[in-house]
Amino acid sequence: MPLKRKSIARRLGRYVLLLSAGILVSVSVLLGFVSHRLIERVSMEVAGKEVDLVISDIEKMISEVERAVDNVDWFVQRNSHRQRFMYEATRELVLSNPSIIGSAVAFEPYYFKGTHWFAPYTYIDKETEEIRTIQMGNSDYDYPALDWYRVPRLYDKPVWSEPYFDEGGGDRQMATYSLPLKDTTGTFFGILTSDISLSWLSTRLQSIAPYWDSHMMLISARGTFIVHPDRSLVLNATIFDQAAKSGDERALELARNMVNGKRGSSRFRGTNNEDYYGIYGPLSNGWSVLLVTSYASVFLNLYAYNLVLGILMLLGLLALYFGCRNVVRRQTMPIVEFSQAAMTMAKGNFKARLPEVRTQDELQTLNKSMAYMQQSINEYITELKSTTASNERYESELNIARNIQMSMLPQNFPVREDCDLYAMVQPAKEVGGDLYDFIEVGDKLFFLVGDVSGKGVPAALFMAITRAAFRFIGALGISMSEVVERVNNSLCDGNTSEMFVTLFAGCLNLTTGELDYCNAGHNPILVIQPDGSASFLRAKPNLAAGLVERFPYEEEHLRLAPGSRLLLYTDGVTEAERPDKKQFGEQTLLSWAKKLNPGVSSNAAALELYSRVRHFAAGAEQNDDITIMSVLYKAK
Amino acid sequence: MKVNIQEENGKALVKLEGRLDTTNADQFMKDIKPLMDGTQQEIDVDCTDMEYTSSQGLRMFLMLQKNVSARGAKLVLRNMKPHVKEVFDITGFSHIINIL
Repeated sequence: MPLKRKSIARRLGRYVLLLSAGILVSVSVLLGFVSHRLIERVSMEVAGKEVDLVISDIEKMISEVERAVDNVDWFVQRNSHRQRFMYEATRELVLSNPSIIGSAVAFEPYYFKGTHWFAPYTYIDKETEEIRTIQMGNSDYDYPALDWYRVPRLYDKPVWSEPYFDEGGGDRQMATYSLPLKDTTGTFFGILTSDISLSWLSTRLQSIAPYWDSHMMLISARGTFIVHPDRSLVLNATIFDQAAKSGDERALELARNMVNGKRGSSRFRGTNNEDYYGIYGPLSNGWSVLLVTSYASVFLNLYAYNLVLGILMLLGLLALYFGCRNVVRRQTMPIVEFSQAAMTMAKGNFKARLPEVRTQDELQTLNKSMAYMQQSINEYITELKSTTASNERYESELNIARNIQMSMLPQNFPVREDCDLYAMVQPAKEVGGDLYDFIEVGDKLFFLVGDVSGKGVPAALFMAITRAAFRFIGALGISMSEVVERVNNSLCDGNTSEMFVTLFAGCLNLTTGELDYCNAGHNPILVIQPDGSASFLRAKPNLAAGLVERFPYEEEHLRLAPGSRLLLYTDGVTEAERPDKKQFGEQTLLSWAKKLNPGVSSNAAALELYSRVRHFAAGAEQNDDITIMSVLYKAK
Repeated sequence: MKVNIQEENGKALVKLEGRLDTTNADQFMKDIKPLMDGTQQEIDVDCTDMEYTSSQGLRMFLMLQKNVSARGAKLVLRNMKPHVKEVFDITGFSHIINIL
């Protein structure tokens, strides 16, 4: 099957595959780019909301703590001189709010007369979770010198402390809200504090993870980590330390933005050299929430999506390739069948069945063309057959005509002691107009060789007329010139087709050897002497017969010695051609005559010349009649 | 057989080239038709490159001659090669056709 070769189907399949792959890849790249941007934006929005949620949670806690403290502030101001009430106040704060794990009212030294330190403190015991209330000021814990007391006093406003690890009081990580206390005259007299546990915040924040590799962090106003997945960093490191460690300018800028209380998001390189997104927002107390999520985790879905898409595309392309191949193969199947039909036709079977084409397309046109061609060829063959048949009939009729023509020429040659005459006409394929004849009248021998111009039936008919005229006129016993003149006149009579005949007519007196002859435009005849010498008889040409009525033909005379031979011929001899168009010619004829055995019979001489001419032609088709007549004068 | 006919001052200049035999005699007849139908008073045929003529060819020249004579014009064949001229001589056509 030709399909095993490089088929159109396979090639088209490949082109379609390449084209589709190209288009799909371009679309995918574009789509990937757009999706990337989209996913980044959406992710940032989602993360931002997550951060906002956390911020509002923490804000709520902070504001609750602050409000609780404010409420107690009023009570403390009114009852500031009642030491016992102060214990109650701190206890009330711890009980009122679950976020508050400790509270203190620390008075200015000697606010109460004789008392240097007075600072009631209520806290939840870390181990037993019991609520205990103590007075914590003493010479070892000189609180007026500590930050939580000094800073709000200095600023004269409520302050959140930096987170710290409280060793003396709560024994845990905490941050403290400190409110300066003032009496009705506006004189500062102490600090009211609330402690909150940072471990609570840590638990709360770590439960939030919008992506598989994301973490919430909390940093203080100075950048210290309050909540960080790596606990060793909490309170021990700042965001600036980490940013510096990563060496990424974007990380440093993020850190600066955060401590400056800005909100936003940015991409940066982490300390482990991987890419992260950071989404951050400030709290009212100066702290900041930071959500860090790895680049990979944000785009995990996109990667998975791309992978699935890629596999689907590959499968789709394969389906397209094989589908296309199949369709094209089915569509081009008729072409294969057409080529087989053409091959069958090339082998000669012009009735080869053509494939059926139902589609209205080029294939149908091809089908129609081939069917038309088949029909034309078949018609042509039929026509050719009938033409050939009629040609054959025509040819066979021509053959019959030629046979009749030839049968008109005498075949029984005189058998005499004083003369040996033999003549032959070898007709060409096409009917020609060569003729010969002879008549014996007493001891006189009339003979004639002629060549009618042209070929075919007209020439044959003209030849028949010529011969009939000679038959009749030659026997009258008149002179040769008169014979030819009369023949000429009878041929001219009514000859409107400009046909003519060249003639050589002679009369040999067999007793005396006297030859009268008249040439009417015929080739010069050969005279071969008894000794074998030969020459052309350059007779007066006069004019070919049939052209000019009453043309005065002249006759000439010659005496032959016994043993002489006359050789008459038509131009079929001298103009016989070889394939290279070289003609036999008079010289070849003359040299042949000179080599001829003078005593050989006329029959042998004529046949020898004929075979010599055919040999010369070397297989070339004989295109003119060949007529040869040999007259050997022997005398008595 | 190539036939090239040119006209100059009512004179037809004809140039023949090649062989004239039975196979192309009909074509030759068609080629010289303009000369038969024409009105030229002189037809000058240059036979320098004519290689051969058969008896059928002679017939064509004869027809041309008769046609030309009938309208009182002149036909001249020139520069014939010896072996071609010989055919005209042998058949006596030299008597009825003007060969220079």
